[in-house]
Amino acid sequence: MLYSAFNGLVVGIFYALMALGLSLILGLNGVINFAHGTFMALGGYLAFTLEPYIGFWGGLVVAPLLAVVVGLAVERFLIRPLYGRDPLFSLLLTFGLAMIMQDVIRTIWGSIGQPFALPNYLNSPLSSSMFFLTGFRLVVIAITVLVTGALFAVLRYSRIGIRIRAGNADLETISSLGVNIFFLRAANFGIGIFLAGVAGILAAGQLGLSPTIGDSLIMPAFVAIIVGGVGSLMGSVLGGLIIGIASGLTAAFFPVAQEVVIYVIMAVVLVIRPRGLLGQEGLFE
Amino acid sequence: MSAVLEADGLQTYYGKSHILHGVSLKVNQGELIALLGRNGAGKTTTMRSVMGLTPPRGGNIKLFGKDVTKAASHRIANAGVGYVPEGRKIFGHMTVHENLLVPPETKGPWTIETIYKLFPRLEERKTSKGGRLSGGEQEMLAIARALLLNPKFLILDEPSQGLAPVIVQEVMRTIGRMKGEGMSILLVEQNAHLALQLADRAYVLSDGEVVYDGSAAELGADTERMEHLAGVSHAG
Repeated sequence: MLYSAFNGLVVGIFYALMALGLSLILGLNGVINFAHGTFMALGGYLAFTLEPYIGFWGGLVVAPLLAVVVGLAVERFLIRPLYGRDPLFSLLLTFGLAMIMQDVIRTIWGSIGQPFALPNYLNSPLSSSMFFLTGFRLVVIAITVLVTGALFAVLRYSRIGIRIRAGNADLETISSLGVNIFFLRAANFGIGIFLAGVAGILAAGQLGLSPTIGDSLIMPAFVAIIVGGVGSLMGSVLGGLIIGIASGLTAAFFPVAQEVVIYVIMAVVLVIRPRGLLGQEGLFE
Repeated sequence: MSAVLEADGLQTYYGKSHILHGVSLKVNQGELIALLGRNGAGKTTTMRSVMGLTPPRGGNIKLFGKDVTKAASHRIANAGVGYVPEGRKIFGHMTVHENLLVPPETKGPWTIETIYKLFPRLEERKTSKGGRLSGGEQEMLAIARALLLNPKFLILDEPSQGLAPVIVQEVMRTIGRMKGEGMSILLVEQNAHLALQLADRAYVLSDGEVVYDGSAAELGADTERMEHLAGVSHAG
């Protein structure tokens, strides 16, 4: 039971990191980023390629930043011309982009999954009674807490974070107050992609690498946003963890329903509380 | 006198609806200009055109002598224009202090500290959520936010809207004080009498066209004409 819940928690962390980035980008950029899963895969693959040179920890920092560079180019040249238009345009764009990027990844790294080598000291269980508790899983949790905590601190206290929150509510008004919203949207998109890149590396270490690694995570991440409440970043994290643990437990006790359980949760939440768990609030109050 | 704002022949649309039909107006250095008109006459649209929020499809806009017709809104603001939008547009989910951290820091007399000296009430409520403020406090906050840009030109869109008369007097005193300090001001008001008391000159808009362009005192004295043009009576 504990084992399954813990397994679910780790998967939930991937959902939460994905949902957080998607939610940020949806909020300020107004883009439903279907390419988020492929940015995640990109982060994982870049870390995989860099690992022999700069190690796991180096890759964990550098690979997401490289994914951000790609993300910023995408934002600048493909997404920016679509701001202010029907959100359907950017949705279709990122949907197509996801397919293109996935094929690029296949071309470079091959379509068969790759094992992502972890440092040995991270790979062994910490104790025989808690065999599921490997060092890497603790690292996954610690990194996620760190990254999420840093993100919330930036949003709470820094000027750019305050502007992102203000812009979520009213982009036009911050622009008329002298804030460069082109820069702000790009920065926000970059932060979202950074989170995807980190999620990609952590997920690669846990699940192994494949070009479609993001596909299995992006739909649950959207579900996490809906369960947590659109517009609430805390909600996205909470939603991710809830559906992760739920699917972990279902996998153990009622495996057939493992896939469907998250959609059942979503349906129940939508019926009881249509705005999602934390949906009435703005960004993390 | 050098012109702060010169708008010439603005043609502005919302989608397919043609709102402004060739609006021209001018604000000179140190002047307070009232822009009057009935609901839907195009006053807010004129402000939004100037601020680059709804750029005009025809005509051109010069600020401080430079063409900004196609400029992005933040560039216009950073050129020295403080904008207090209709409905105040406070960030209701953020604290008063956070609201004041949205505009960039600029060189000049206005900093968050001097703003708190001008509006002690805002300092008292600095940790309150913007949405919890009274209408008057929100108006102060909206003006404060605009002043942080250390603007040379202030655009106020219906600052008295929805406020109690006592508070309106206070807001108007603040605006009068800004004018006293040499600020150029464009004041949009439904409450024409109030605006004309402060203004040097006035424009009246009707159906997206300028129908009066002249002295504020003259218009203020001619009750019948004002009622006809701007749809206001002395009771207002």
